[in-house]
Amino acid sequence: MTDGAGETPNTDVKLPRSSKGARSRFFDDPAIDQMMTFFLELMAETNALRERVDTIERLLDEKGSISRDEIEAYRPDADGEAERSAWSQAFLKRVMRFHEPD
Amino acid sequence: MASTADRLSERRNSVIPDIEALPESTLDERGRQRFCSALRRFAIQDMPEMLHKDFDHRVAPARQSEGVPLDDALAIEDAMEGEASYRFYSTLRYNAQEMCFQSVQEPIERALPEMIDLARAAQERNPAGGSLRLDPALPVPDYVSQLDVHLTPGCFHKEWVADDVAQGAVVALGARVFSASMSHRSWGGVAKVISRWLKHERHEFAPTRMLDIGTSSGKNLMPYVQAFPGVEAHGVDVGAPLLRYGHAVAEHEGIPLHLSQQNAEALDFPDGHFDLIVSSFFFHEITVDATRKVLAECRRLLRPGGIMVHQELPATCLVDAWEDFFWNWDTEHNNEPNYTDFRAQDPAVLLEEAGFEPERNFAHLLPDLGAYPDRAEAFGWNEPGRPRHGKGAWYVFGSSLPS
Repeated sequence: MTDGAGETPNTDVKLPRSSKGARSRFFDDPAIDQMMTFFLELMAETNALRERVDTIERLLDEKGSISRDEIEAYRPDADGEAERSAWSQAFLKRVMRFHEPD
Repeated sequence: MASTADRLSERRNSVIPDIEALPESTLDERGRQRFCSALRRFAIQDMPEMLHKDFDHRVAPARQSEGVPLDDALAIEDAMEGEASYRFYSTLRYNAQEMCFQSVQEPIERALPEMIDLARAAQERNPAGGSLRLDPALPVPDYVSQLDVHLTPGCFHKEWVADDVAQGAVVALGARVFSASMSHRSWGGVAKVISRWLKHERHEFAPTRMLDIGTSSGKNLMPYVQAFPGVEAHGVDVGAPLLRYGHAVAEHEGIPLHLSQQNAEALDFPDGHFDLIVSSFFFHEITVDATRKVLAECRRLLRPGGIMVHQELPATCLVDAWEDFFWNWDTEHNNEPNYTDFRAQDPAVLLEEAGFEPERNFAHLLPDLGAYPDRAEAFGWNEPGRPRHGKGAWYVFGSSLPS
């Protein structure tokens, strides 16, 4: 970034994930409100996985080019392993989406 | 000076790409969005029925046997708020609301620089013949800035970078997840309903200039241009990112919209400037004081022979206690603090205070296009089997001026 640049660079914007205003609580123990968010986020992730499996199954129907054994035996290379590790970390962060403190 | 034919040809050759197609969701993101749509639908369509049954069969009889009257929304809320059914209904609705907007934020972040460039190109070239007028000095009213309305982080107005369109995209694409219309452009439903009814009621009505108040990104303004060819369509909103985004959408669609950043409590148009004034989902977001000012502005801006139609949530005096209780959830939980106060007003009184003639004022339920493809006529309030607002019908109120 240069000093005195008139224009804000329009890259790497990170939008806020929580809203201005107190978060509503619906249970006597706020831990249950938090658990409900965990639970629903986990359902969303399950839904995304279901969509991926469905994609694979449909591709198999259409192309018939891979087998269950091949899927079972498949080992990703180092890059693939790193991608999967990163996905797992991001998955955990998405599901464990803690509410902002009041 | 270029000839009209040259100008038209130039416009045709400078097509603005579709800004809505730029944020591309991955397979996983689409999977999450699909879940959010389903969750929201379940929370707003299925759960209220379960809740109502729980109230009728279990909660109400128990309360009534103790002699507790349940004849208004507050009494019902008092009876329901501790019940597990209501707590789970609420937590599902609340989380669905948060998750719908979150599910589109990452694709929007990735596409944002490209979206901003596209919106700039639309503003420079205006190939459809529309215009965008922004006022960076316009104060954002407190009723917009105090809370993030609808639990949309960043609300309608926040700008994160120069010429930002991010909140326009979050509101528009989040609403698409929200209303489970991910795969096709089904927006503008309210405008299609109102324009069909107007054509049915007033065959000869052909507005030359119209205004949409709180237009957001103009989704409920564009269909009027198709319904009334040649109408000069204006839209105002306080949120610059919404207007930039909407302008880009309209220029892509080839629909000329004239969007300006203004507060509807005091607009800069001359008296009698419009023969059609509309709004959708607007008044319940602003204070009742502001509502009175906006309606007075509508009276000032409407030309003799003009019509004003506002789509809103049905007023308390027009619904039963359960429905009243149902609508008011958003007041406390969806960051819409003026929602209950607006609904508590009698539309007939508001309109009369603004200077409209009582015998010309109306409050109707209009048939939804999908649920009633062949009916344009408004439902009678006592018509047997009439649908409720949000379930096959849309509540509107308004007035007209004599020619």
